[in-house]
Amino acid sequence: MSQDKKWDVIVIGGGPAGMAAAVSAHDSGARVCIIEREERLGGILKQCIHDGFGLVKFEEKLTGPEYAGRFIQMVEERDIPVFLNSFLVELKKQGDDFTLTLVNSTESVFSLSSAAIVLAMGCRERTSKQIFIHGERPAGVINAGLAQYLINIQGYMPTKRCVILGSGDIGLIMARRLTLEGAEVEGVYEVLPEPSGLTRNIVQCLEDYRIPLHLSTTVTKVHGKNRVEGVTVSQVKDFRPVPGTERYIECDALILSVGLIPENDIIEPMRVAMDGKTRGPCVDQNMMTLVDGMFSCGNCLHVNDLVDYVSESGEIAGTHAARYAKSRDRKRELIPLKMSGDLMYVVPQQLDLSTGNQATIYFRSNRIYKKAVLRVFSDGTEHLTEKYRIIKPPEMERVSLDLSKVPPGTREVGIELKGTR
Amino acid sequence: MSKNLKNVVKALKKAGFGGVSAQEWRKSIVLSGQVKTWEDKIKAGYAAARKGYKGVVNDIEVPGSVTDAMSVPQVRDKALEGRHFDVVVIGGGVTGCAIIRELARFDLKVALLEKEEDVARHASSRNDGMIHDGFAASPGTKKAHYNVRGNAAYTQVCKELGVDFKRPGSMILFGHPLYRLAVPILIARARKNGLSEYRFVSQTQVNAMVPNVVPKHFGGFFLPSAGILSPFKLTIAFAENAVTNGAQVFFHTVVSGFDREHGKIIKIKTNRGDLSAGIVVNAAGIWSDKIAAHADDRFFSLHGRKGVDAILDLKTGQYQPIIMAMPPLVGGNKHTKGGGLITTPEGNLLVGPNAYETPFREEYSTRPEDIEQIMVHLHLNTKLSKADIITYFAGIRACTYEEDFVIEASETVENLVHVAGIQSPGLASAPAIAEDVAGIVTGLLKKKMDVKRNERFNPVRKANPELKGLDLKTRAELIRKNPAYGRIVCRCEEISEGEVIDALHSPVPATTLDGLKRRARVGAGRCQGGFCTPRVLEIMSKEMDVSMLEIKKKGENSEILLEETKGHVDYSNKKIKKTA
Repeated sequence: MSQDKKWDVIVIGGGPAGMAAAVSAHDSGARVCIIEREERLGGILKQCIHDGFGLVKFEEKLTGPEYAGRFIQMVEERDIPVFLNSFLVELKKQGDDFTLTLVNSTESVFSLSSAAIVLAMGCRERTSKQIFIHGERPAGVINAGLAQYLINIQGYMPTKRCVILGSGDIGLIMARRLTLEGAEVEGVYEVLPEPSGLTRNIVQCLEDYRIPLHLSTTVTKVHGKNRVEGVTVSQVKDFRPVPGTERYIECDALILSVGLIPENDIIEPMRVAMDGKTRGPCVDQNMMTLVDGMFSCGNCLHVNDLVDYVSESGEIAGTHAARYAKSRDRKRELIPLKMSGDLMYVVPQQLDLSTGNQATIYFRSNRIYKKAVLRVFSDGTEHLTEKYRIIKPPEMERVSLDLSKVPPGTREVGIELKGTR
Repeated sequence: MSKNLKNVVKALKKAGFGGVSAQEWRKSIVLSGQVKTWEDKIKAGYAAARKGYKGVVNDIEVPGSVTDAMSVPQVRDKALEGRHFDVVVIGGGVTGCAIIRELARFDLKVALLEKEEDVARHASSRNDGMIHDGFAASPGTKKAHYNVRGNAAYTQVCKELGVDFKRPGSMILFGHPLYRLAVPILIARARKNGLSEYRFVSQTQVNAMVPNVVPKHFGGFFLPSAGILSPFKLTIAFAENAVTNGAQVFFHTVVSGFDREHGKIIKIKTNRGDLSAGIVVNAAGIWSDKIAAHADDRFFSLHGRKGVDAILDLKTGQYQPIIMAMPPLVGGNKHTKGGGLITTPEGNLLVGPNAYETPFREEYSTRPEDIEQIMVHLHLNTKLSKADIITYFAGIRACTYEEDFVIEASETVENLVHVAGIQSPGLASAPAIAEDVAGIVTGLLKKKMDVKRNERFNPVRKANPELKGLDLKTRAELIRKNPAYGRIVCRCEEISEGEVIDALHSPVPATTLDGLKRRARVGAGRCQGGFCTPRVLEIMSKEMDVSMLEIKKKGENSEILLEETKGHVDYSNKKIKKTA
């Protein structure tokens, strides 16, 4: 592969977001390549051997590798170049172009440049220390995603009897997986009064296997010096352990599913405007960040619950990255999409009025509401109203806004959720 | 009753410990009896200290207080049975490893016995890596002497050993205008301890040095010689340089006793057989009073003082170019400098440590209040937040009641040398301590044998390359020579497979996942091994030629994988079809 030529679009990451972005960019006429640090495309889907992927995108129930396979096929059919085992060590914007410095074992250190880049680096798991678990540091405190890799890819069991902390989707999936592999899952513990994972996972992964879910309860101490010997759990009120509610549980592992963090460390030196809530960059409806030519999608933009939406955001980013590469002189007319009321976050955070297209708006509520009304408005005009019978933070919602309805010169568009408990 | 004993009894009574009895034993004072709490026992020990005795032996009992026994290796064999060495050093911390490296300069048979599976497993990997300037130590103490000498030696030591060392300097930040009145006192102390560089810096100067410093401060006292390094990389480097120069290191080897005859150790008893030595060096860290007891020479006792440090994300270091602390004007804990902010050579920021007495010696659990206590330092820099914490750890300082190092030949056992109570600034002092201990050891040996210099001694250790910091041209050359340097395994710290393999084949190689982390930083980053662990396990399995199930995180019974899954298939030798 020639490294001297300039690419229209370089996609960083070959998971579901990156592959969708590359396919869309290619189909929009761009010369695009994918860089991937692992030895295969597919990202985290490679280890997600359970089903339930693709219901929205393909209207089929696929396993993770099957879902990834569909996109890998699309990438191969288009002959989109992929730099595998290639690690991005530096990303710079020089003038109008992006320069990427990469390392791999065949070409040692090399660089690529492009007019546009699509960030699709995914996310990482929050660790035990980031939620302030105390005790010593024995073997057996591991994240659910790591446990999933060890079991599904490598074929080894990291536990025979464990406690799972956090009711995030990976934790729920792993509760079932571990049980099927013959391990005993003593229980799933969640510090919040409500589960953090999808309802379907609570039913299919816990209830169907009679694995108890303990809400408003957390692990306060890990016991054991070299290997986990047990954990202490306590009930929680106002985020503080309630004295006297401690219970010791014998186990050989603590498996954590306590949240995901978008991986944006490579853009940190570029001081890209970030959203403190999503921990991803602020983008417009075309998934362009506030740095011209830099697009973001998938779980590094914000953590999604369904891979279908990951791919969708990749498609938007890829299409618009290709367009940007072709007509870079176009000026954006950015106005804020300002959230209020009972929202946890909204993506995009900005709207570009110059493109006048449909904007897909992703959002989560800040807590469970039995009824809720979403309004999108500007200068007293209502652009959109949507009613929800039940809305909860683990389940992301999305609406489509016709930007042609927003009059030119509008300073700000508001988005408000009003919930009833 | 001697005058000194009277003073001890009086001091104990005054401190409220009239029930504690004190007896002279050789040149030391031994305390016995009962008190209610561990804190009381420690207080009584300090009340009896510095009353003219060589040491305080604190045998006061605390009914109901739980403490830990020394962890010992499970292995039992005769690997060392009947072996004789000119010098046996007990303990593979930074002190012991620096000593064997110094001894390797001589034509001697040197062995180091370490009960764990690696060097730097306790205090030497559980500290913040600061090479203190020597200001904080009390003037006239061994601590002050060795600290200043050790600090000065580090530039060359690190150059020889290939250990990354920086001298960012340390700032005592003034939180109140009244501090300025103390500047002449600070200067006098710096002079007394023999520091060559120290100066008052104004508020404006501080602001220029640390752009994100807390706005409310009143200048500070700056000590440019203060440095920072990785304490475990240094310890490993000392050990490796000693080994390449002929010293031997035996892991999983614990000393359980001595046989003595005519005031001399004739047999060192271990779980791997009984051996003998011309000289025995007691550098057993927190257990060195126990080793002294084996030789009936326990003239001091040690107590553990725990501290916790938090490690902040790699991106934070850039905001804190110097070591910095703001000690309280009055009060504070008299046994610690109170902790602060320090940036490691790798770029992580460390916050802490705190300090509190503990009856345990090897119990490293942390508590929520530790984090609360050390987080007070975060406000010193406006760019830092609690969310930047990636992990935290505890260490235990080995303290004597005299609060000073014990570095001397035994007065009663003719072939025993004690190097004990080496707590902070022990790391900073290590090169100087090692030099003097080597002098004591060779001095004793010369009475019995001819001690020659080791003509082939090479002080230079060729460190394994760390590719992340290299310029791209050098990096490319290294990858062309060894493609494994181009395969990144640890994404957070940008560590390649080649660097992991190097660490598994070094003179003192990594044998566990944590050992690899200390040598090559895999798993030390923000994901804490979440992504790299499976890949690293595969590399370890291949390079060490062991099953994945045998690989340990640290020491015995710390296996990471417990069994194979039901339908386990070994794909490790199967080719993967590439998609491009």
